[in-house]
Amino acid sequence: MIRFSQVNKWYDREHHVLKHISLEVKAGEVVVVCGPSGSGKSTLIRTINQLEPVEEGEIWIGDVQVNNPRTNINRVRENVGFVFQHFNLYPHLSVLENITLAPMQVKKLSRAAAEERAIALLIKVGLAHKKDAYPANLSGGQQQRVAIARGLAMEPKVMLFDEPTSALDPEMIGEVLKVMQDLAESGMTMMVVTHEMGFAREVADRVLFLDHGEILEDTTPEAFFTNPQHDRARQFLKQVLAPMHG
Amino acid sequence: MNYNWDWRVFFKPTGIGNEIYLDWFVTGLGWTIALALSAWVIALLLGSLLGVMRTLPGRYAARIAGAYVELFRNVPLLVQLFVWYFIVPDWLPEPLEDWFKQDLHPAISAFISVTICLGLFTAARVCEQVRTGIQALPRGQAMAAYALGLSLPQVYRQVLLPQAFRIIIPPLTSEFLNVFKNSSVASLIGLMELLAQTKQTAEFTANLFEAFTLATLIYFTLNMGLMLFMRWVEKRVRVPGLIALGGK
Ligand SMILES: Nc1ncnc2c1ncn2[C@@H]1O[C@H](COP(=O)(O)OP(=O)(O)OP(=O)(O)O)[C@@H](O)[C@H]1O
Ligand SMILES: [Mg+2]
Repeated sequence: MIRFSQVNKWYDREHHVLKHISLEVKAGEVVVVCGPSGSGKSTLIRTINQLEPVEEGEIWIGDVQVNNPRTNINRVRENVGFVFQHFNLYPHLSVLENITLAPMQVKKLSRAAAEERAIALLIKVGLAHKKDAYPANLSGGQQQRVAIARGLAMEPKVMLFDEPTSALDPEMIGEVLKVMQDLAESGMTMMVVTHEMGFAREVADRVLFLDHGEILEDTTPEAFFTNPQHDRARQFLKQVLAPMHG
Repeated sequence: MNYNWDWRVFFKPTGIGNEIYLDWFVTGLGWTIALALSAWVIALLLGSLLGVMRTLPGRYAARIAGAYVELFRNVPLLVQLFVWYFIVPDWLPEPLEDWFKQDLHPAISAFISVTICLGLFTAARVCEQVRTGIQALPRGQAMAAYALGLSLPQVYRQVLLPQAFRIIIPPLTSEFLNVFKNSSVASLIGLMELLAQTKQTAEFTANLFEAFTLATLIYFTLNMGLMLFMRWVEKRVRVPGLIALGGK
């Protein structure tokens, strides 16, 4: 479903931020990406829908090469939902309008059809009663659930998440992870940057560990947690797991 | 100073037709409003276009808009007016030039010159406000919209501009008020707008203070009215979480 082949990316021509990335995510797979701050996780996940361009290599979604200049990137993005750390809901639109905007603008759905779909999704994320609220009047957890619904409204083949719970108060993390877990169980192909190791252990099919722009580990959660191959992965695990036992 | 205030002056006949002096003020106010509104329409449309250009990813659009702003902001308004009124018509193709200089009523040709001049001058200022508004939005807004497959025009139309315009209503209001003030340059090329009518009344009647007091009151009322109108607009389109940028 998603395939990287020998991808290299530099910021400002000198900062080598993604190094020889090759990986494949199969349809229906849930892949968690973790690694220290600045290791290139956000950059990696953003290259998939070309929010960040790459200088070398190929990135494919299905049978479309997304970093080919002849590819209409807007058509690719329709099929790839993206959930941001800071939600990025449109503050001037109601919850319902946030969700219907892209289906109406991009897929040319009628308002009625778009709203019907939006409400079904809001029910799924437990926020149907907030359809007329503005984002500023929702809690962080509610905003992130709306953002997920907004992405799903385009009926994407792939959902990408960049630290979807790191901007949330601890008591709201669970409600968002629950929605993501339901989504994973429904068979969605997902790539999730997160430090929620509980989610990785229970939901992920695979864990990628990124460090200094390199994929050091690409393995099952089981193997990653019990038997990491690299020192840096062991150190990283010690850091993120420590508070949970402390 | 010994000055005999006489407010009845406005109801005295001017000696021209059946007019009283108050009629002059009404006519002048009409010109002032017509000038300011037409110039504002030009300024708002062109200024928004230029403001968007300044924020586009490509280099050329931003440079062209930047050069426009430099040019129109730095040349004094009066100089610009003389260029539009005395010089530009000479560059027109002959039939058009004759039409502008001879067939058109002098008031209309002056009106056209001032409208274009004031519209283009104010567009440069509107451009900078629109650019500031767009750049004040979090980068994630455009990114989230692109990520959903919206095209660049859709991102501007649906996501960036509705937010940018909301937060720049206060500075846009002061630009709007400035158009009314600046429209008085028209008096220098003989268009009988409010200021020109005031001066003429003062000269004809020697009631200089009354004339200028009335003009002041009219300008003041106009300003207050517009300000209240813009406040009302701001309130109507207000949404939670979008905070307007400071005025001026
Ligand atoms: N637009 C940019 N221009 C230049 N350098 C950048 C840019 N974005 C990120 N970087 C740098 O590239 C590196 C990787 O950044 P990235 O945001 O992908 O890391 P990350 O793993 O997501 O980190 P975090 O856990 O803090 O979110 C960092 O050193 C960062 O400073
Ligand atoms: Mg990141």
